[in-house]
Amino acid sequence: MMTDDRYQLELGVLSRKLSPNLYRFFDLDTDEPYVVFGARTNRGNVYTLRIELDDFPESIPKVFVTRMLKDKRGHDLDSCSATMHTLTSENGRTRICHFGFDSWHPEVSIYKVFIKSRLWLEMYEQHLRTGKDIDYYLNHQD
Amino acid sequence: MIVYLNKEELMTLPDTGVADGVACEWEGEEVVHLHARPPRHAYGKVSPCRFIRGGTGELPPAGFCVRYEREGDGVKATAFLDGKELPLNFIPSRSELFSRSKGILEVGALAQKRVMIVGLGSFGGQIAVELAKAGVGAFALLDFDRMELHNLSRHICSVQDLGRLKTDAVADAILGKNPYAEVERFPVDINREPVLLDRETARADLVICATDNNTSRFNLTNALLRRAKPCLYGRAVTRAEGGDVFRYRPGGPCYNCLIGNGWFESRDEEITDEASARRSGRIAAYVSPEDASAMVQVGLSADIEPICNLMVKLALVELSRGLDTGLAQLEDELVYDYYMWANRRERRHANWAPFPNAAAKPTILRWYGARIARNDGCAVCGGHAELDTGDEIESRLGDMGDTSGINLDEVAGQGG
Repeated sequence: MMTDDRYQLELGVLSRKLSPNLYRFFDLDTDEPYVVFGARTNRGNVYTLRIELDDFPESIPKVFVTRMLKDKRGHDLDSCSATMHTLTSENGRTRICHFGFDSWHPEVSIYKVFIKSRLWLEMYEQHLRTGKDIDYYLNHQD
Repeated sequence: MIVYLNKEELMTLPDTGVADGVACEWEGEEVVHLHARPPRHAYGKVSPCRFIRGGTGELPPAGFCVRYEREGDGVKATAFLDGKELPLNFIPSRSELFSRSKGILEVGALAQKRVMIVGLGSFGGQIAVELAKAGVGAFALLDFDRMELHNLSRHICSVQDLGRLKTDAVADAILGKNPYAEVERFPVDINREPVLLDRETARADLVICATDNNTSRFNLTNALLRRAKPCLYGRAVTRAEGGDVFRYRPGGPCYNCLIGNGWFESRDEEITDEASARRSGRIAAYVSPEDASAMVQVGLSADIEPICNLMVKLALVELSRGLDTGLAQLEDELVYDYYMWANRRERRHANWAPFPNAAAKPTILRWYGARIARNDGCAVCGGHAELDTGDEIESRLGDMGDTSGINLDEVAGQGG
């Protein structure tokens, strides 16, 4: 569970990196806090990302695109896929696999999780253009 | 027939004339243990045993019976089977149980110590029993798992424990060595029970972290920092080709300081159980059952024993710190924060020297210690915490164009 000190550290990083209207924290005083980011890809498409913080920073936070994305063939990105870097979706939201278990440590900031997810979105759009799996563009972590 | 009786149980019987206990008989072996209070898990062939206080009560004509009389602080007892007297042996009293350790350990002091063990697999179970054998008086056992077939080859518990909660099975193993130990069992996932974790950490004199994933280690580390308690973390690396031990002492480097240190490689950790590894995320959800099965690479029990052994010794040094014991000199020798061991020259140890003629070069079957510097920028224990802001990712995104997001008000309605 994120402490107040850690929350202030995260806010410090986010305020240096992003304008405050790009992200919003929710339910911080509950067991299921989360933060939502607005993300615009280089091609100008807009997504919202939901990062769940219930055991952050001790474990890897779940990251969702707040709608169900489809792959190049029109299939929902709703299941575990090594080639597309996705995990099983929840509540109709595509879940991004953004960090390898053994690479995780508590110093990873929410901002880093956000920009890794932003990178995934870029690669997702590359996939839509080329048909190549996201794995073609992104390396796996252990 | 060989007969054993727990004399201290007699001291706890009420002052009434007759009490009903049990006889646990190892059938065909001519061995029987008489209990004034039935054990939590009876063993052998169980039959009634009557306990009669004083020398005048009538003996039952059949079955086991004990006639006893309190004498000052002690008790005098005689056992009978079918009215005939049996030679009687006594299970050692609390003070006698660890008398052979006197001079090396301060048994009386250890009896007052409480050790919390998180994770009761092949490491935690072994360490628990060894500490019980040394005379540690109280334990808090935390693990939500049950004993399964694949655990057996390395675990302290046995076939008859299959299906049992590890907290229960290991508690019985502890009590088998020290029937006077106080053992509290918590079959919980510590990642879901922060309040309990914090409370039990506060009660412990020493914590043993024998879990198989970093999430639980990080959660435990937070509790250790809050409560200023020492902890030993131990693990085996792939197929137990080696292993390591990290000692946290309040004010020193924490487990997170160790991560990223050149000595330590978190990726190599041994995977012993597919289900557990999937639960924790160590095996990614998209890994096929066949590939996952191949990732489970378990070393020999003999390969993890040296690691457990060092953890036990470090634990006894921590628990005896400041006492005048035979272990005191080890305080000046076991001074490192981090210890490494290799069983075989494989993978990360492949370039170590062969054992013969290794001289000062690193080789197998020897411990190597290292001091770890506390990281002032550590996000967990540092005074000036610094977060990983992913500059390398940022630059990669920057090469592609914009790294910024979008005003959330512009995407209102897409949900949170």
